[in-house]
Amino acid sequence: MIGFYTYFKREVARFMQDALNTIAPSATSVILYIMIFGVALATRLGLVEGQSYTRFMMPGLILVSVITNSFYNPAFSILQSRLYGNIADVLSSPLATSQIALAVILAGMLRGLVVGTLISLTAWLVLGFQVQEPLFTLLYLLLASMGFAALGSIAGLWTHGWEGVNVITVFFLDPLVLLGGVFYSLEMLQSAPLLKTITEINPFTTIIGGLRAAMIGTTEISVESGLLLTGILALIFVSLALVLFHRGYHLKA
Amino acid sequence: MECAISFQNLHKTYAGHVEALKGLSLDVQRGEFMGLLGLNGAGKTTSINVIAGLVRPTSGSVLVNGFDAIKQYRLAHAQVGIAPQEEVLDSSFLNVMQILVYQAGYFGIAPREATKRADALLQEFGLWEKRKSNVVELSGGMKRRLILAKALIHDPPILILDEPTAGVDVALRHHIWERMTALNKAGKTILLTTHYLEEAEQLCKRIAILHNGGLVATGSPHELITKILPDQLEIRTDPLLKAIPEGLDKFSPHLDEDCLCLQGSLSDPQVMNALVSLVQHSYKIISVEQKRARLEDVFLQLTSTDKTRYP
Ligand SMILES: Nc1ncnc2c1ncn2[C@@H]1O[C@H](COP(=O)(O)OP(=O)(O)OP(=O)(O)O)[C@@H](O)[C@H]1O
Ligand SMILES: [Mg+2]
Repeated sequence: MIGFYTYFKREVARFMQDALNTIAPSATSVILYIMIFGVALATRLGLVEGQSYTRFMMPGLILVSVITNSFYNPAFSILQSRLYGNIADVLSSPLATSQIALAVILAGMLRGLVVGTLISLTAWLVLGFQVQEPLFTLLYLLLASMGFAALGSIAGLWTHGWEGVNVITVFFLDPLVLLGGVFYSLEMLQSAPLLKTITEINPFTTIIGGLRAAMIGTTEISVESGLLLTGILALIFVSLALVLFHRGYHLKA
Repeated sequence: MECAISFQNLHKTYAGHVEALKGLSLDVQRGEFMGLLGLNGAGKTTSINVIAGLVRPTSGSVLVNGFDAIKQYRLAHAQVGIAPQEEVLDSSFLNVMQILVYQAGYFGIAPREATKRADALLQEFGLWEKRKSNVVELSGGMKRRLILAKALIHDPPILILDEPTAGVDVALRHHIWERMTALNKAGKTILLTTHYLEEAEQLCKRIAILHNGGLVATGSPHELITKILPDQLEIRTDPLLKAIPEGLDKFSPHLDEDCLCLQGSLSDPQVMNALVSLVQHSYKIISVEQKRARLEDVFLQLTSTDKTRYP
């Protein structure tokens, strides 16, 4: 257990010691969003699903920050340790491969949740934003960060260079998130059938819809269906990560 | 008693179809100081990396204090401290001190004890002033010291040192030799790879020579030398011998310009008899020189099948 905790601590220290470069940028940019949309533009944007646009957008902003931070931390950490070769430290230690995977995933989750908390606090202080179902919301963010941290660790194993992480961002993460109704609701898309179809089949739409239901009480998508899908994805990605670490995928020659 | 390390018919073919190990079988006894020698690319690091969990063998197995390095890797890893050949140190954000403390942590040592051990090792290896530095600020030799300290921090019963003295200054090299000898005396098993044959000859009680992924010889330095390149006796007489005296066939004799050469030792009675009979035939024996081959000669002999390397 000391071994597992040590590695977890290392992974957390990696982003904490460098908080200015890891935590601060994503928190800052979202806080700017909140300022601009919430304070400057709020009155000009109408209601979406009976909510002010800022309030409607808040869950999406929080979720995106949580999952990107959860994703990038393991992705970069694993890739860096592979490139420097110091991944051998843990591979040659008595740590189980599953412990290595879980320590990395947990640290990624923590980073996502730290950023999520910072943003939620700002939203509460600046906009008086409050969450309707705090427990569901927490569970939601836990599962989402778990899934994406696992996905990040898989990306860190898969890619052979820093460009690889970029490829995943541009061709997978960005489309998934941007076409998943973070900034719009399905009813806003009546005049854009193609975008509507894409949004509908995008699993991320269900995830963000469910979170919105838990946080601000929208009804387009139920909390349960979103939670279920998030949980299933988390399970799949965590299992896949465990298998890949166990096999030593791109870790052992 | 179980061996400390037992390579059992180990094969490794890398993805690019490089056959690095072709059925390596080798036992290292507990408490032994064994040298693993071989040309560049012989497969030394590959066999060590199987133990380190960095290389999956194609077939065969390795037991470490009885634990299978693949199936029981957690138990097996707990038995060994490995100082890798390559400088694979964490240069991301940890300082030298932290690298050691974390390393100990991976092996289940709590921070307080880990810090104590790290302090002692940093002092011993002259890294105390650098304890707060990042790895990129260390010189090559300092990195080697840190690699050694990392291998020692969890006080493992088996040490595997992959070319620990390469690129190391004279003072440190002597320190490493003394330290290895002391550790071995204290009961630790040591497997050492090196390209400095005098070093292997001095330190190792037994030597294994690896060539093209297989074992070509094992034995004490003395055994290897006498078995593979037996002692040469050069006997000079007055007058010069014109023919090889009888009864010496088993010593593969031949006549050189100014002497008679035999493969054998003065301690052999038959050699003595031959000398006596020379004297009886009124030859004066001017000198008898015993020429002992060096480990280097043996090594070159055993690894020279590959004439294409340096034609
Ligand atoms: N990761 C790898 N992928 C492909 N081939 C490899 C890999 N590592 C080593 N090899 C090849 O395997 C063979 C054995 O290499 P190894 O590193 O075990 O040699 P060595 O005995 O340690 O040599 P040296 O004295 O140079 O350290 C070489 O032909 C090498 O090119
Ligand atoms: Mg090597």
